[in-house]
Amino acid sequence: MGDELVALGGAFLAAGLLARVGRRVGLPTIPFFMLAGVVFGPHTPGLALVEDPDDLALVATLGLILLLFHLGLEFSLHDLAAGGRKLLGAGAVYLGLNVGGGLLFGLALGWGGREALVIAGAIGISSSAIVTKLLVELRRLANPESRLILGIVVVEDIFLALYLALLQPVLGNARGAGEAALEFGRAAAFLLVMTAIARWGSQWVRPLLDGRDDELLTVCFLGFAVLTAGVAHELGVSEAIGAFLAGLVVAETGLGEQVERLVLPLRDAFAALFFFAFGLTIDPGDAGAVAGPVAAAVLLTLALNVLAGGLAARMHSFGRRAAANIGLTVLGRGEFSLILATLAVGAGLDARIGPFVALYVLVLAIGGPLLAARSGPISRTIPTRLFPEVAHS
Amino acid sequence: MSIEEHDLPGIGRRYDLGDLDGSRVSVVIHHGGRRDIYLSSGGDSEPSVLSLNDRQARQLGAILGGAYFQPAVVAEIEAAIGGLLIDWVTLDADSRGVGRTIAELEIRRRTRMTVVAILREHTTLTAPEPAEALHAGDQLVIVGRREDLAAFTRHVVDRG
Repeated sequence: MGDELVALGGAFLAAGLLARVGRRVGLPTIPFFMLAGVVFGPHTPGLALVEDPDDLALVATLGLILLLFHLGLEFSLHDLAAGGRKLLGAGAVYLGLNVGGGLLFGLALGWGGREALVIAGAIGISSSAIVTKLLVELRRLANPESRLILGIVVVEDIFLALYLALLQPVLGNARGAGEAALEFGRAAAFLLVMTAIARWGSQWVRPLLDGRDDELLTVCFLGFAVLTAGVAHELGVSEAIGAFLAGLVVAETGLGEQVERLVLPLRDAFAALFFFAFGLTIDPGDAGAVAGPVAAAVLLTLALNVLAGGLAARMHSFGRRAAANIGLTVLGRGEFSLILATLAVGAGLDARIGPFVALYVLVLAIGGPLLAARSGPISRTIPTRLFPEVAHS
Repeated sequence: MSIEEHDLPGIGRRYDLGDLDGSRVSVVIHHGGRRDIYLSSGGDSEPSVLSLNDRQARQLGAILGGAYFQPAVVAEIEAAIGGLLIDWVTLDADSRGVGRTIAELEIRRRTRMTVVAILREHTTLTAPEPAEALHAGDQLVIVGRREDLAAFTRHVVDRG
């Protein structure tokens, strides 16, 4: 018991202190939480806080559940509708380019079809956490293109939910078409039932949650989220999508904002451990084997993001500065890529996916913000004629 | 002045105040209560940003709205709205006005201030009649111009 407590406390502290170093120079926390896991894990010399990553499995899963539960809570079709068709267009262009490019890249790697599907998502979907934080810290919230950037992130979140739901049956160990179809059917049924509950049945969930008392509300929504995730896992739908749907249902009970406020500190703490636990599984010795693919993936992502940023800017008649801001801000990769890698490793896919995504996220989660902060000077290298600026508000 | 309102998903709401004296001003209200005021002079220059927490933002808003007051010191409360002063004064047992009616004191004619309410023990008299006599301990809510406050204080509140 004492050992476990030392490991757990050490993990929190190591993750927090290392991320604080990064914070000081304006870098996001996610890559540092993961890095702490690598450094204090079993694969590196020196102090190993945790020998076996499985020791932290339960708390790490709790972090995953809370990340997705919070995403479900915040998820709002209203945000999407408010942005209009143009925003949807920019999001679709972004996803088409990046997920499509990621899928082709994954297939070209030749690690396998299921691996390619995971890589498509890991490369194609930006980190909402990093993008949102960047906009606030770089003081760009008042820029006209920032709404577009946040809109792209909303479209990506929606895509992630659908993608997660459909990915799990693919990841499962289905033998033959019949079994695969059955798993698909089960996943689809679960998705439909939960969405229907969110849409029409929130009054059945409402009695579970009492909004008058923060303490009891916390205990009950946590129970609901973890239980739904567990049931989803048992049905072969993945705990991630179960937690997301639980968030969706709670958001519809009218207690969404209160729960969001209460879940945030819990999410922050356990998500840090989720990233830390992912880092534990990474052996820096494997980095050499995946360095080539990672370098190629980073260059591909950079090119596709700049292209998508340019297209989005053209669609909205923004100037070259805005084009650079869009492309370089949505470059950040983080929690979603790591969640996908965790699911893939858990499903027994090609073991190279773990170190590949870890290194890829490390490069882009740190490089992305550094580039985004310098988007002004960078944008001056873009010929003005590409972005004839039209006056707008 | 035109104000545009926008949703910032995952962050909060943004209000764009259009063109103010050649600058663009935007206010961002975060879900967590933080407020950012962006001031940019246009072009590629970096904006100036002022970040406030909820309490600071409300105080600044009250000052800008001309209704700033600090509730902790009720006796000193005053609020100025476009040169108009609203003040609270408390009468002592030996104040000049105690025991006389508003009409007798000719408050409005002699001080150009108006007593709009009297807080007496646990009751509140709004728009008191001229025949209302003032008591020791009364809190008078008065309205007038700032420069007339001194005359009112001398005539009604000071020791007789």
